[in-house]
Amino acid sequence: MTATAKKVRKSKLIPLADAIGDHLEDGATVFIGGFGHSVPFAAAHEFIRQGKRDLTLCRAGADILFDQAIAAGCVKKVIFGYIGNPGVGLARSFSRALAEGTIEMEEWTNFSMVLRLHAARLGVPFLPAEILRAGDIAGGSIDVRTVTCPYTGRELSAIPALRPDVALIHAQRADEAGNVQFWGIDGDTREGALASNKVIATVEEIVSSETIASSPERTMVPAHRVAAVSLAPGGAHPSYVEDCYDRDDAHFTEYDDIARKPESIAAYLDKYVRGVADRAGYLGLFDHARLDGLGLADKAGRDK
Amino acid sequence: MPTPGSEDLNLIVATALSLTDGKVCFVGIGVPSLAAMLAKRTHAPGLVQIYESGAIDADPAIPPLSTGSPCIPDSSMMLGDCLDVFGDLQAGRIDIGLLSAAQVDRYGNLNSTVIGDYQTPKLRMVGSGGAHDIATLAPKTIILMPHQPRRFVDFVDFITSPGTTDSAGRPHPRPANTGPSELVTGRGRFNFSSGSLTLAETFAPFSREEALEGITFAVDLDPDFREMVALPSESLALAAKLAE
Repeated sequence: MTATAKKVRKSKLIPLADAIGDHLEDGATVFIGGFGHSVPFAAAHEFIRQGKRDLTLCRAGADILFDQAIAAGCVKKVIFGYIGNPGVGLARSFSRALAEGTIEMEEWTNFSMVLRLHAARLGVPFLPAEILRAGDIAGGSIDVRTVTCPYTGRELSAIPALRPDVALIHAQRADEAGNVQFWGIDGDTREGALASNKVIATVEEIVSSETIASSPERTMVPAHRVAAVSLAPGGAHPSYVEDCYDRDDAHFTEYDDIARKPESIAAYLDKYVRGVADRAGYLGLFDHARLDGLGLADKAGRDK
Repeated sequence: MPTPGSEDLNLIVATALSLTDGKVCFVGIGVPSLAAMLAKRTHAPGLVQIYESGAIDADPAIPPLSTGSPCIPDSSMMLGDCLDVFGDLQAGRIDIGLLSAAQVDRYGNLNSTVIGDYQTPKLRMVGSGGAHDIATLAPKTIILMPHQPRRFVDFVDFITSPGTTDSAGRPHPRPANTGPSELVTGRGRFNFSSGSLTLAETFAPFSREEALEGITFAVDLDPDFREMVALPSESLALAAKLAE
């Protein structure tokens, strides 16, 4: 296809507020991308600002993005293999919500979560697996049925497909048509994005379709599977983006203290999420030297 | 800085010694990654470290905070995804898994999910992550446990990761030839040769009594039990440096 032909494609590049407003409905099941790397904090902060309700959030390893969304009152249910603050501690707002009975959960394992998404991606109702026949996870918050292999007679777990309504992912770059290029640690991001009915991507930069076509092996989600793409430089902070900026390890540690008390997490959300209009505003609240140390100083004030 | 003979360092060094050169090892965050890093820098330069984030043949320069932390892709020979590495694990192509947990029983059943009742826990922890998958699928699982008696319980509050049998001694439904092979503390090394926790050796300066101190259930003694084995001093020194 020629570059000219690509230009006639409709642009999917819209402001993040519109992407979330148009494509993420109350009550939706939302896959959250990013496995330590490239976690879509800007998109999550936007749905918190818009006061989305009754969401079901899912992914294998749920980090402090989940905790913030729970504290903000956006979440009805979580589906996960791990939930915490990686390398630091526990999911404090999640624990409080559980104790208060204000959240539902489906607790799986990381492998079974990936298989659930992969099954949806393949369009099959389940995938057989050797896990979840022993121990207390099956029968805890989930019901795992078994299946007998028609060839060997072996009994296996039948891991059910999970097809999210929307995936939120953050990536290095996309073109206006919505071809999203992502590289670095993937985890379950590709599986979750391609399992979902709609993909909303935030990116560090918008590039030409020619740039996309010059390295198509980097495209994780092709334009026809993407509902909206939004520019959000620094959109993964405090996680990191390969070749763009570093992980703000200190922020994850600070968050552990912040999330210990309902008042302090509420104050955090008021200041860093509800108190700003967008990602540029958020980054503007951080010390310049700190952002500079992470390679983020030039990102403040660039999203539109 | 930890001193030689400190339990923290013994745990890292003794675990590293179980990671044979050339083996493929599924590594987690914390002491497991320190042990793998140490093995790679001493007796096992050909150890292949795999992280659940999809990093294959990683060799992080510093202990990672998360399996997705930048030091992991910066040092990996391949970045696949979760499906690649858990698929390899289920297909039997990974030799060893390293796990830690809050509680362990004599059968090597591990709890990293809740303290107390599942529905109304006293403490809600992080859950399985990949731990259940590793414990179920790896041909050998090494359990890393600081010597804290409260972690060694008759019955774990929740079986996140299956051990040799359930608490009634019934085999867990799982693939053949998988399960816990050893448990390492800062004081000694245990195996499961009898089906339940068996003391195989203690590390200097700890005696047999000290290695079992505070553990309320019966622990078997390996026929080849050795007491106060000296761990290599150069490894202890390097472990101290890596853990800084």
